[in-house]
Amino acid sequence: MGGIVLKTTDLTKKYNNKAVVDNLNIEIKQGEIFGLLGPNGAGKSTTMNMICSIVRPTAGEIELLGKNPWKQKKEVIHKVGYIPQELAVHGNLKAWENVELFTSLYGIKGEQLKKAVNESLEYVGLLERKQEFAKNFSGGMKRRLNIACAIGHHPELLIFDEPTVGIDPQSRNFILDKIKESNKRGATVIYTSHYMEEVEAICTRIAIMDNGKVIACGTSEELKRLVNGDDEHITLEEVFLTLTGKKLRDYTE
Amino acid sequence: MIRYLIKNNFKLMFRNTWSIVVMLLGPILVIAVLSSAFTELMKSYEGVDEFSVGYRLQEAADGHMIESAKAAGEEAGILFYEYPEGDIQDVMEKNELAGFVEFSEDGYVVYKSGDYEVEGITLEYFMHRAMQEGVNAVLRMEEQDVTLPVTELEFMPAVDSVDYYGIIYIVYFCWCCSICATGVLGNEKKYGIVRRFQVSNISETQNYLSKFIPLTLVVSVAMAVTTGITILLFDIHWGNPILSAFLVFMMIMAGNALSLMLYNISDNLVITVIMLFMVVWFMGFFGGSFETYMFSSWPDLLKQLSPIYHGNRALVELSCMGKSDYVAGSLLYSLAVTVICSVIAIMAGSIRKRGRA
Repeated sequence: MGGIVLKTTDLTKKYNNKAVVDNLNIEIKQGEIFGLLGPNGAGKSTTMNMICSIVRPTAGEIELLGKNPWKQKKEVIHKVGYIPQELAVHGNLKAWENVELFTSLYGIKGEQLKKAVNESLEYVGLLERKQEFAKNFSGGMKRRLNIACAIGHHPELLIFDEPTVGIDPQSRNFILDKIKESNKRGATVIYTSHYMEEVEAICTRIAIMDNGKVIACGTSEELKRLVNGDDEHITLEEVFLTLTGKKLRDYTE
Repeated sequence: MIRYLIKNNFKLMFRNTWSIVVMLLGPILVIAVLSSAFTELMKSYEGVDEFSVGYRLQEAADGHMIESAKAAGEEAGILFYEYPEGDIQDVMEKNELAGFVEFSEDGYVVYKSGDYEVEGITLEYFMHRAMQEGVNAVLRMEEQDVTLPVTELEFMPAVDSVDYYGIIYIVYFCWCCSICATGVLGNEKKYGIVRRFQVSNISETQNYLSKFIPLTLVVSVAMAVTTGITILLFDIHWGNPILSAFLVFMMIMAGNALSLMLYNISDNLVITVIMLFMVVWFMGFFGGSFETYMFSSWPDLLKQLSPIYHGNRALVELSCMGKSDYVAGSLLYSLAVTVICSVIAIMAGSIRKRGRA
């Protein structure tokens, strides 16, 4: 593990005086796959959005790759690859056109852009389908295209916001393999999901959030020990439910 | 970066089949319906026979100019008779005059009769042209004894209803054809593509231009095709093709800037479309899109406020007279709307971004 890629200090976001993220302190080191778990409305997406300079924090500090993403956005944002939860692609553009459009936002052009487009599509297994319109793709293919649109500029930090929602096991497995591969190539990864087994399978460290706060953080084993002592015969889901409770979370954005 | 955004937004707008179809067919259908519906009305304008008007001179009025105007009027079928005394309204009613002109040192006042609406408009237009020619003649000759160049005095030729509505509805659709961008704007919001832009170094100005430029190109191409089809189908006569095309292009830019400004302010596609159609409807209402501007009885100030009026009048006059005093005004008005709306759109986008953040 290398230096610190992301550090938040007392990060807070309030809407109508209600704290959605409440004095959040996390530190992510280079080379980690950091999982962020939490029930609906826990503040995961808001945290991601603050890190990506989409939502301005009410209070606290963010240090992203040594810079403040709100004050030094131009210097740091091109080092971030953001894969939103939505399928943020244009259905009426072909696969390669989508990747070209979003990769060009980071100042890549000409031959370098063409190369980046092909590499990204190959990476997600869509190179042979590059001439097809995104609207004709299956859910899994759209998810992969969504990823391809965010990696063409070779970011140092990849932020995945629930990238495997609503897809078949093969596509899910493919995406998880690719996340691990990206990590091996040197990218630090922040990953949010509701699928515990996914998080357990790929994340080196996990933070569980609830009501805007990190209520537990550590490796999968550390979290299990925290709940069940030395007995590790407990699933991450059980840990999660023990820490966050079984009450239904009816959350509206 | 912006080159690729423009290129791909251009493709997206062109692939938005429904809006392209609406843009192509809309003007054709409206022109077909309205031009036939108003043929009779326009014919009544064409067929103004010789008519009589009264006039009165105040003490300091320029007699030479008036004599010249009388002579020019006779050539144009307007017969002037002097009535030095009596209430003007009574004189008009008693002598069945279509209009009355009161000349003074500062200018003239035209009185029109409700029973002679077309003749009244004709008289008003004649006086405007006659005085303008007279003033120009004075400036050129630098002498008091001025004779109006009667034979050169261009009386406004009658415009055919097909030509009128063929031109007017191309102008009208230019102002509201930014619906081509609804696909792009809708998708960006619906699928969270806006967030991708936020996690990049794209500025609000680049973001605005990446929509404004392709939108202007797409609408220009679509309008050129529509205009070509209407010329072939209805034999519409446009004056000076290059100047007319430039006027239309400037109005397309203004319409696009207006709609993008409304979108950046409201951040809601439905509200934008409703607002745009309302604004354009009002501009068209006062600008001659429904009631011809020649017959329109709206106050001149309201007409002058409408950019569509300037565009309509410039293009119609170019078509039937070969020249128009409204060309420069229309170009300047379109340019001003484009610049002001663009600046507000960029500012609104930046403020919204900060607000959202």
